[in-house]
Amino acid sequence: MADEETPSDSSLLVIIVDTNPNQRYITEDPKILTNCLDAIISFANSHLMQKSRNQLAVIGCHFHKSEYLYPSPGKPLDVRQIDGQYELFTLVEKTIKMRLVNLIKSQPQDEKPGESLLAGALALALCYIARLRRQSTPGLRISSRILIVTGSTDTAAQYINYMNVFFTAQKQQILIDVCSLDKHLSLLQQGCDITGGLYLKVPSLEGLLQYLLWVFLPEASERTKLVLPGRGRVDYRAACFCHRELLTIGYVCSVCLSVFCKFSPICTTCHTVFKIGGPLPIKPKKKKLKT
Amino acid sequence: MSESSKSKSSLNLNPSPTLQCKDLHEYLKSRSAQFLETLYNYPTICLAVYRELPELARHFVIRLLFVEQPVPQAVVTSWVSQTYAKEQAKSCEALSELSVWQEAPIPGGMPGWMLAQSFKKNLKVALLGGGRPWSMSSSLEPDGKARDVAFLDAYALERWECVLHYMVGSAQTEGISADAVRILLHAGLMTRDAEDGSAVITRAGFQFLLLSTAKQVWLFLQHYLHTAEKRSLSAAECLAFLYQLSFSTLGKDYSTEGMSNNMLVFLQHLREFGLVYQRKRKAGRFYPTRLALNITCVKESGPSVAPLETSPHHQGYIVVETNYRVYAYTQSNLQVALLGLFTELVYRFPNLVVGVLTRESVRQALRGGITAEQIIHYLEQHSHSQMLKSETGGIKSTSMLPPTVVDQIRLWESERNRFTYTEGVVYNQFLSQADFVVLRDYARQQGVLTWQNERSRTMVVRRAGHDDVRKFWKRYSKSS
Repeated sequence: MADEETPSDSSLLVIIVDTNPNQRYITEDPKILTNCLDAIISFANSHLMQKSRNQLAVIGCHFHKSEYLYPSPGKPLDVRQIDGQYELFTLVEKTIKMRLVNLIKSQPQDEKPGESLLAGALALALCYIARLRRQSTPGLRISSRILIVTGSTDTAAQYINYMNVFFTAQKQQILIDVCSLDKHLSLLQQGCDITGGLYLKVPSLEGLLQYLLWVFLPEASERTKLVLPGRGRVDYRAACFCHRELLTIGYVCSVCLSVFCKFSPICTTCHTVFKIGGPLPIKPKKKKLKT
Repeated sequence: MSESSKSKSSLNLNPSPTLQCKDLHEYLKSRSAQFLETLYNYPTICLAVYRELPELARHFVIRLLFVEQPVPQAVVTSWVSQTYAKEQAKSCEALSELSVWQEAPIPGGMPGWMLAQSFKKNLKVALLGGGRPWSMSSSLEPDGKARDVAFLDAYALERWECVLHYMVGSAQTEGISADAVRILLHAGLMTRDAEDGSAVITRAGFQFLLLSTAKQVWLFLQHYLHTAEKRSLSAAECLAFLYQLSFSTLGKDYSTEGMSNNMLVFLQHLREFGLVYQRKRKAGRFYPTRLALNITCVKESGPSVAPLETSPHHQGYIVVETNYRVYAYTQSNLQVALLGLFTELVYRFPNLVVGVLTRESVRQALRGGITAEQIIHYLEQHSHSQMLKSETGGIKSTSMLPPTVVDQIRLWESERNRFTYTEGVVYNQFLSQADFVVLRDYARQQGVLTWQNERSRTMVVRRAGHDDVRKFWKRYSKSS
């Protein structure tokens, strides 16, 4: 983060909301999703409230695809003020709710819900940030960050995709924050640590909005001044490329650095052929030449 | 011995006062708490005030927003890390000044903070919804002759330039009302000529012209609000309406239904200055323009990001070279006159004016009360698009002007500021030399002595140390 000290003119926040129906907190009580969504929308609006130049994008992440919930592609909805709420905030709320309904309706009925495509959604967010940076007026300092709100469990199936996204974000100086609603997520925590973002596992869903406003609303330059929950120990175990299991000790390809839990003679990533293992052949001793 | 306190306000120190442009925060600070209380009944104002607060103060407000009971001050302090205690104190002060929060005792006797009820309620309304809509626009039918953004920009610019042109006394004096002239006179931007009573521009007026458009509008409206109170318009209502405009969407129409008569008059004035567009006086709908939307951006003047100026109608026309030459591609007398304030004009062609920034010309501007910052800002704001592309020779600078020129203008300004002013208290008429020596040595020991003269038994102590020295003197004179 090049100049963390000077506050930026504009701050761009991309929120990734995991809407996968197989998250535990949703299967237990489907209504709670509405509460969480309301909290997230209020949080998004609070971000827009900070500065008039602040920008926002929300991405919904499902098990079959990820989609922008806000801003909607094409012409924005024509929203008129119905109560005392700021017009822009009403627009945000309406757009997100409408597009989320569309997203959920579009899910294939006959398929069993699989894993949320978080890595894909992250890539989408990075693309969006890159586009806005390109389009911005010269001289405007934009600080960007991504917030993931998810209740999915940790799986290593997308390990490689995650790592690619994390390091791209680090290079682009984009912070990744993670707010876990259910389980501890070691893989995403690594991402936070790599990019300098914050990781928080919310103790109770009732206070979600308060946690979001406290930890994730301040932007990077402000965070250094505040007392925020500490980083803690980060689990940096890698997942093997063959069975996606987390390992402490494993085999590493000497050419492409892929990690494997079992020895295989051909690297599945770069197709390098290794000699069969086993005891090293003992060189036959050279016979001393007798004179 | 006697003490004569000479506190000088910073205004008197400057030989020629620079134009003060207060932002919303300073404007509100100068108003009474009662006035603030009425203002916080409008969600728009709450939103605007919130955005103007310092960073940390915003964090405090948002964390207290959903808390219904007073929070101990110690807890609020613990939210910020120790190293930034100074900044935290400043934020707390800002919140108290604007009476956004009040001190409230909590059971157990500890002092606590609590957000002002009306502020809290209306900020929540703005953020989450509820309450009454700001205007009756939801029932508006689509406009058959809707105007697009480009049209509104052109309209706003034309109206506003009309006011500016009037100020420099250009030929285009039509289309400006007596009210607008009264405001200009009231603000001291123009003054009545002693001979024929016509309005002529003042020094402050020239400084006004050098400000960015957003600042000009804001300053102008501040003075409007001052005069409004005399005309039985409620300043609170006007301010709330202004901020309502600033939070509207560009290119959308809003209904005038349900507005009071006073507000309709106010709307007509805003229409005159180009803040809103109305096809007809009784059209029943209006379009806010960029001028109105930018009221909130007074403070956040990032480099070269003035939204109106980036519109295609208003392009930069000034090129500054490293040899202090200034080329201005313009035909407007207003712009030439402004440039002439701080440059020495050399040539004039039909579409081009060439000038040089010299020490003399800049110093003359400085003597007139224009600051170096204003000059630099003006040049920056109106830079030709070609300047944006040019390389600054590998030197990373925040401005696109040549660094040498920027630095030199600043140096010319600091050349004139050879005095540093400190507030102080004079002690004199000591009865004996011994008394004087004792007190002087004490003050020197404390590091608050500014100046002393033994022969006349006079010493000057800094304002901050005055209480301490006086106490010492009382103790000393009692014991001896």
